[in-house]
Amino acid sequence: MNIIEVENLSFAYAREPILRNLTFAVPRGAFLAIAGPNGAGKTTLLNLLCGLIKPNAGSITLDAADLNTYSVKSLARKVALVRQEFVPVFDFTVAQVVAMARTPYSNILSFESEHDRTIVAEALRMTNTARFAARTLRELSGGERQRVFIARALAQDTPILLLDEPTSFLDYKHQVAIYDLLKRMQLEKGKTIVTVTHDINLAAQYCDQALLIGPDNSYLIGTTADVFSSSRIENVFGVKTFTGKVGQRKFFLPLGEFAKDVRLINTSLNGSSEK
Amino acid sequence: MEFLTPKKLIVKILICLGLLLLVMMACTLVGTHRISIAKAFSRTDQPPGQNIDYEILLIRFRRVVLAAIVGAALACSGVVLQAILRNPLADPYILGISSGAGLGAIIAVLSGISGQFWAGSPISAFAFIGALFTVWLVWFIGHVAAGGQATSLLLAGVVVNAFFSALIMFLTSVARSDQLRTTVHWLMGNITEKDPTVLWVSGACILGGIVALFTASRGLNALTFGEEQARTLGVNTVQTKLIGFGFAAFITAVAVSLSGLIGFVGLIVPHAVRLVAGPDHRQLLPLSAFVGAAFLVIADTIARVIVAPAQLPAGVITAIAGGPFFLILLAKYTRKVTLLK
Repeated sequence: MNIIEVENLSFAYAREPILRNLTFAVPRGAFLAIAGPNGAGKTTLLNLLCGLIKPNAGSITLDAADLNTYSVKSLARKVALVRQEFVPVFDFTVAQVVAMARTPYSNILSFESEHDRTIVAEALRMTNTARFAARTLRELSGGERQRVFIARALAQDTPILLLDEPTSFLDYKHQVAIYDLLKRMQLEKGKTIVTVTHDINLAAQYCDQALLIGPDNSYLIGTTADVFSSSRIENVFGVKTFTGKVGQRKFFLPLGEFAKDVRLINTSLNGSSEK
Repeated sequence: MEFLTPKKLIVKILICLGLLLLVMMACTLVGTHRISIAKAFSRTDQPPGQNIDYEILLIRFRRVVLAAIVGAALACSGVVLQAILRNPLADPYILGISSGAGLGAIIAVLSGISGQFWAGSPISAFAFIGALFTVWLVWFIGHVAAGGQATSLLLAGVVVNAFFSALIMFLTSVARSDQLRTTVHWLMGNITEKDPTVLWVSGACILGGIVALFTASRGLNALTFGEEQARTLGVNTVQTKLIGFGFAAFITAVAVSLSGLIGFVGLIVPHAVRLVAGPDHRQLLPLSAFVGAAFLVIADTIARVIVAPAQLPAGVITAIAGGPFFLILLAKYTRKVTLLK
């Protein structure tokens, strides 16, 4: 069964169309990567999915109910969003930030219940952030901060988790740690995860499905293996790439004009190119 | 892991309330006229004019209560505006309340209206109306003309402030010298003895406003992360902002109409409390109310006695004493944070 259904979705900023007639569905418990060049509308799509902006046309159905029928509060119990790198103005501690995720469940007294505290502690434990629970966000590194925001999204206890380039400022170790964590969420908690990413290779390794949005409002959705082909990557991103294989998965290496091994792709394209 | 519970909060509030009452009592006893408490309370049933000590005590106490009410209102208003605008430099006057109230006050002085409005002077009534009108104007411009982002509200506030300040300067330049004196004194922020009815009414208004702001405190926590994040956390941002701005403007307008423009309390107290107690608004808001109240009570007591028999405007003391005090606090706590790392 599909937990997210998007039909004929269109969106434009001041007549500049960003998304046109987008139709796709995400099965419950899937891990979907949204990829595409800058300005293709990936972040816009995430904002549409969590109701921050309204589409010009088309509809979004979440958990069998139209997005417009949700209140702000009930939507926050369905969808959690992790944004790109962010440091707040005031010095909240990690525990306070994660506890904010319980806001959509708060009663009139607006204090965390025993149940809320258990969930917050669990989210801190799963993301390995419990040991700096009393520190402020300013005192953490980028990778740690990103884990805290993922912890907050977990504590929000939603079936759907949206992420906007969660690994963009992180080193290899932390990138992999984030993807491992997300995969664990998918497998152990049955969460549906949608992440915008520029890292095609990590997406190919971890995600089940991919949505590739082109600069001309074209799009393609399917399994990562089907969607990410070298000709399509070259077309959509407009860059020459070297395509190799690790086990069953393909990997892509973009090579520009002055790249040391750019000659290599020209020969390999003539020779053993795959379609 | 430390979580804020209602029990912990109530204990903290009671401690602060106790401290505030101690400060208020101590400050009531301080003054140019030495008072014997025993004498003051021994024969309170005497006819007026007989028990001077008791009457002076009563008058001082009313003034102390007024300072406490105004201080609490300004501090809470500062807390809320800093949160909504996500700007540590915001204070209760940032959205034009000061110039609006000032304009109202100077119009009242120049037009020479006399009489009583709701047990308040015409200056108070005009300042109150001027303050609320300006906030509405800023909100309207910020939303209708510029989309309601925090920056556009700030810009609207700055523009309206500048325009009204120009009007105030124009009016002061054409005012007679006695009118000028009244106006300048008011603009500097001044706490004077008020009628008990005024204290009861304004006290109730401000307490009600602070309670209303408290109900929005969890939403304010989320709002400091920006409107988009607050909405994805299930906070109705429009409603929270409306409650926040509306009640912050209301209690500021009440405070300003009582005391004129007392600066610094609404800027410094929220920061000081945040440095010590953290940014959680469920705690920050009530604690700031007590600290703001105590701060202004002490400042006004100093203003009352330091150049006796003359008196300084309380606003002068809040600025002179508040600045260095805040710098000490800032230095101490930032150093502590660096050491922890």
